[in-house]
Amino acid sequence: MVDVVKTLYEVLGGKILRHEVIRDGVVIDVRPEDLVSVVKGITEGLGGIYTVVVGVDGRGIDNTYHSIYVFSLDELKTYVLIRVRLSPEDPKVESITPIVKGANWGEREVRDLLGIEVLGHPDPRTLILPDGWPSNTYPLRKDFSYCERPRLDNPGSNYVPQRSEEVVALPYGPYHPLLHEPEYFELHVKGETVVDVEYRGFHVHRGIEKLGESRLTYNQVPFVAERICGICGFVHNVCYCQAVENAAGIEVPERALYIRSLVLEVERIHSHLLWLGVACHVLGFDTGFMHAWRIREPVMYLAELLTGSRKTYGINLVGGVRRDVNRDSIEKVVKILKKVKEEYDHFVKSLTSVKEVVKRLEGSGILPKSEAISYGVVGPTARGSGLKRDVRVDHPYAAYKEASFRVPVYSECDNMSRLLVRVDEVYESISIIDQLIDKLPSGPIMAEDVEVPEFREGFSGVEAPRGEDVHYVITGRFSKVYRWKVRAPSYNNIPALKVMLHECPLSDAPLTIASIDPCFSCTDRLVVVDVLTGRKFRVDLRTLARRGKL
Amino acid sequence: MSRLSWIKKALEVGVVTRKYPFEHAEVPEGSRGLPEFDSSKCIGCSACANVCTPDAIRVVDDLNEGVRRVEYFVGRCIFCGRCAEVCPVSAIRITKEFELAYKDEVRFIIELKLVKCSNCGKPFTTTRHLNHVLGKVGEGLPELMTLCPDCRRKSTVNSFITPVGGTV
Repeated sequence: MVDVVKTLYEVLGGKILRHEVIRDGVVIDVRPEDLVSVVKGITEGLGGIYTVVVGVDGRGIDNTYHSIYVFSLDELKTYVLIRVRLSPEDPKVESITPIVKGANWGEREVRDLLGIEVLGHPDPRTLILPDGWPSNTYPLRKDFSYCERPRLDNPGSNYVPQRSEEVVALPYGPYHPLLHEPEYFELHVKGETVVDVEYRGFHVHRGIEKLGESRLTYNQVPFVAERICGICGFVHNVCYCQAVENAAGIEVPERALYIRSLVLEVERIHSHLLWLGVACHVLGFDTGFMHAWRIREPVMYLAELLTGSRKTYGINLVGGVRRDVNRDSIEKVVKILKKVKEEYDHFVKSLTSVKEVVKRLEGSGILPKSEAISYGVVGPTARGSGLKRDVRVDHPYAAYKEASFRVPVYSECDNMSRLLVRVDEVYESISIIDQLIDKLPSGPIMAEDVEVPEFREGFSGVEAPRGEDVHYVITGRFSKVYRWKVRAPSYNNIPALKVMLHECPLSDAPLTIASIDPCFSCTDRLVVVDVLTGRKFRVDLRTLARRGKL
Repeated sequence: MSRLSWIKKALEVGVVTRKYPFEHAEVPEGSRGLPEFDSSKCIGCSACANVCTPDAIRVVDDLNEGVRRVEYFVGRCIFCGRCAEVCPVSAIRITKEFELAYKDEVRFIIELKLVKCSNCGKPFTTTRHLNHVLGKVGEGLPELMTLCPDCRRKSTVNSFITPVGGTV
């Protein structure tokens, strides 16, 4: 870590006001006016790739707002967190989006939810808040109560789509016809060619960060974190726990780390098989879809065997895991995975022998390497564009140091590359599980003293099936977290669709959108609209349980 | 590898979709399903309600009737099993039961009698909880145990203070 700090000072010199080394990263404080030049130094001088922007209402800590820009220095194997402190009355900061395209959403989110004004942003429209949200109301500020539900009657905050005169706007959503999740793509087409895409998401933004900060204790958050995603929930669970453990300096027993890695890999296998099935389905090749999901079923059984649940495993707590594995289940894991591997082998060979599939995938949805870096894309999307980045190698966590595995990289930058990356990763995951089972150490699975001191920072990354997932935590008082920031992988990948879909034939658009394996992290609520009066109201679970009797 | 390999494979594996619910669905041992509450063991300490993330377990004191109700609503439950883990008297057991469509809002209610503070008369915990604690501390301080936390604090302080020139 000393080397990293030295390198940072060599590149940035006196612009660093103060630095602090935390587990997994270095926090540097800079003046707001130096921000843009510091970010330039990190990206151009050190090859840092954009990860996330975190806004913190730090008025309860040091009476300022914080804006934290996180970059991953893959070669130095660390994260660097650039923090600017902003005035509590009028928080304002210069935009970094003109030099780092990926920061577009991050900065708009900080402005929407915390009211930190971003100056010189190329696209300053509302991102997250719903249409009609009142002005000067910022839900993540500490003076905004969790129970507050503002009236959505401010016509000034409605979303205005940006499109030129010559294009035809083709709506694609709000419910994706293939993935059944609430998202809205507005494809701008000229003839048969897509020239641009506008994304409007966050239809069912659940405000779980606010929920975690206000209502839950730190050991309840993992169960909510797990429900961010229905497919790769365990990564959020692990990532949150690691962030708190990093903040509090808790040493997790080795056996618990192994179990986490094991379950993470089981999750990756099932997620990739699910995606391969969906990809086949998008191509109209439903035979492939059926077979992929048939092969996936035993993997789901494995997850249930190891954790007690097919999905939302719920075995993690801060300090370790709640459920041990026994010899019986391990024997079953080895046996079932062997069979899965055989079946999968046959599936992959058959799939790549279908000419139509290969032709549809090759050369479509190009994402050049330079754009991939600028947007800070993660996971198979990055590795399909020739970027060798994988959190398991770049920022090792859990038991990944103990396993040797290959990071598949393809540099054709098209849909085929992204498919091949996932195909290869399933083999690697099976091999990782075999290695970890061989080495599985004995011992406790939960740390003995789990104490979380207040106002400590923790940052952690986990390689989800879709890419790097990061959580940032500031611990708080009374067993609660003061700030919990989540950035799921699709958050960085979706903006890059603008590049992938540019000049692409309309028929390839569904496949290209699916190629990043988007995850919109949703849970639906039932909204009833009374057509006679136009009144809208939400129906909660207890009312539903009473069979609609209000 | 020809395209015929798909057909060969399909014939080889046959039908894999099970005729659920007409056919029984097997879940592995240790699978987490419906928690089962043993009302004869429950002491109403609220530990399960405290750890319950989705508020599926609620503890409500009915002061008019002098009872504490432990309610479990299956519609909110996420089947994490934390309640069974923290229960001090092992009154909760996690079963493999997963077919949970149910017509009522609340699936379990346990009613436990509340104890009134011997000083101020405010109900503060259940009889069973009190007996459980008494069983743990043994013959210790039974007169303090029947006081509510507020009165207990006052009484302890009073016992340390030596009155100077009169009563406190």
